[in-house]
Amino acid sequence: MSAADSTYHEILEVATKASERSDGATPLTELGWADILAGLGDPDAFAAAFAIARAQGRALTHSTALGSLAAQPYLEATDLNPGRVVAAIARESRLASRVDVLIGDSIGCLVLVDRPGEGAILVDTDALTLLPIDLPGRLVAHQVSFDGDSCLTEISEDRAAAARVRSVALTRIAAASEMLGAAETVLAMAVQYATDREQFGRPIGTFQAVRHLLAWAETDVVALDAVVRQAIRLGDTAPERFDAVLKALAGRNGRQICERALQTFGGIGFTAEHDHHHFHSRVLFLDGLAGSSAVLTHELGTWLRTTGVDPAYPAAVLAGPD
Amino acid sequence: MLRPEAGTTADPLLALANYRSELGAWCDASPETLALATSPTPDYDDRVDHLRRFMGELYDAGWSRYGWPTGVGGLGGTIIHRATMWEVLATRGVPGMALFEHLEVLAPTLVHHGPTDFIAQVLPDFLSGRKVWSQGFSEPGSGSDLASVRTTATTVDDGYTVTGHKIWTSWSKYASWCLVLARTGSADSRHRGLTALVVDLESPGVDVRPITQANGTDELAEVFFDEVYVPSRRMLAGPGDGWRVAMHILSHERGTLAWFKHLFFYHHLHGCTDFADTRHDSALGNAFLDLTAVTAAAHKGLIAHADGDPLGPHAAFTKLLLCESEQATNDWILAVDPDLAGGIQTDEVALRRQEYLFSRIVTVYGGSQQMQLDTIAKQILQLP
Repeated sequence: MSAADSTYHEILEVATKASERSDGATPLTELGWADILAGLGDPDAFAAAFAIARAQGRALTHSTALGSLAAQPYLEATDLNPGRVVAAIARESRLASRVDVLIGDSIGCLVLVDRPGEGAILVDTDALTLLPIDLPGRLVAHQVSFDGDSCLTEISEDRAAAARVRSVALTRIAAASEMLGAAETVLAMAVQYATDREQFGRPIGTFQAVRHLLAWAETDVVALDAVVRQAIRLGDTAPERFDAVLKALAGRNGRQICERALQTFGGIGFTAEHDHHHFHSRVLFLDGLAGSSAVLTHELGTWLRTTGVDPAYPAAVLAGPD
Repeated sequence: MLRPEAGTTADPLLALANYRSELGAWCDASPETLALATSPTPDYDDRVDHLRRFMGELYDAGWSRYGWPTGVGGLGGTIIHRATMWEVLATRGVPGMALFEHLEVLAPTLVHHGPTDFIAQVLPDFLSGRKVWSQGFSEPGSGSDLASVRTTATTVDDGYTVTGHKIWTSWSKYASWCLVLARTGSADSRHRGLTALVVDLESPGVDVRPITQANGTDELAEVFFDEVYVPSRRMLAGPGDGWRVAMHILSHERGTLAWFKHLFFYHHLHGCTDFADTRHDSALGNAFLDLTAVTAAAHKGLIAHADGDPLGPHAAFTKLLLCESEQATNDWILAVDPDLAGGIQTDEVALRRQEYLFSRIVTVYGGSQQMQLDTIAKQILQLP
């Protein structure tokens, strides 16, 4: 295991425990988030950021982690403190041309709103209209609109464009990590349930149909974990569109894992009282951000077909920088 | 251009970047046998013949000796060299490993458990395609339940006589040697009474009968053994060690082999993008997701293995992901090349049909999907 791998495991465990005992907020300060953001170029910090995102998914806590990661690439040309700035994250909507989402408690932060083709703006939360997003999942999120003139700073399209690709990549790796955290936790709950719940005189987990359902779900977890870890290890050397592949896989596998867990819980899992719907709702919500699985999967197919790019990865490249 | 040279301790080709680029350059210089090995050939015998000739040329030039110990005919290096070799060959259009999959299924175990002088004699022949190998595990009565095999090995002077019936032995039609799992213990000794023996398929008492598969290829066979003599020096490990040897083989078949096999799927996808259309882009994207998943998981297994820390029961995940990706790739190929189901055949279409049909049985071969799921449920999830 490399040094960065050990860091990842350590931080994941520490962050999970810290988040589970918190009051619902991911304890970013305690976890050294500001230093991590400032030092993202370092492999250990890079790994730590996404370990924290995964812990957030496991504990279903909330924070501005995703938004501050998304903002970070835009701030390199400024002297702003990255911890104070959060970016709104785009999602598709049938009802509006574009929806921007602010995740976590952003009061007191500067908000970066990216407008592809027109640069980006930095705005005080006071100058925004924030509409609470009311969904299960223990989410703290708002739909953002800005139609004023009082933006504090404008970032030119040239500079925004240079940051945009990296911002989307960081957002996608973080969202995928959080989806993985949520999905692996609800699966662990389902495995426990299958061990405890008895029917026909024995635990339902002794029946092969249930065993295989859970084994498939675990396979989806292992697959997603392997690709998340690959993305973290490769960093800037990742193949083209790797963040899109990861995000698409996270949405697909994340939802499938939640569905198989629900099948195991049976009816009780589909109650408001049971925790399953919180995990499921969080995964669905994150799937919708920064490119859903359905949209990205189709786009990746089109890209492969029309560009003739050879997507095969060499073993030596995957070994990553040592 | 750097060339492999036997026995040099400071061999620059041991550095992976050099190995990759120089092997690539050698391929680009169009060795005579490469063109045939890369041309689409539905006739399975021809395909095997072309690949064996190419492997011969590859061996003579030294490239396939990397990744094997010097004491048995190799030039040093690790499994990563071997992975790199097949990756370069895949990018140059070699469509698959075919019977040379056994270089990754059987050969590592031969090297690990076999008597050194015997392995030093047979490995070069194997690498060069002169004398290839098959695996004698399954029997008509023993598929998933491998520990129930009934082929017997009875002790005689300085060896054994083997009697029994193996089935689904891959590539026996072309093989000179068969690694047979036989019972040396009592009838009810299950996994404790098994021994791994290397049988010379030219011995008296051996009868190889090819099985034509539903896709028209006959890479499988049944092999009958009627008191076939095997000298003790052709035993792997010791008497009664057969299960341990078998598990070593399976850890490759289910763990590291996925890396080698899945690389070719990328090229099968790539080979159809020219004539595919937009209607199937989601299916293509989905196949790409599955390929990415098996790449990451199989790479984990490859590196763990190279570090001396094989995956154990976690290889089950890799095997499942490999089959998912093989099927998703072929699902898309069927969608974009419907001629493979409809009967208009060119050589390329005929080959795609063979591969599509084969992709439907991969979830059974080499350890069925249901066995992998059982392993995960019991040993990893620890369900009651």
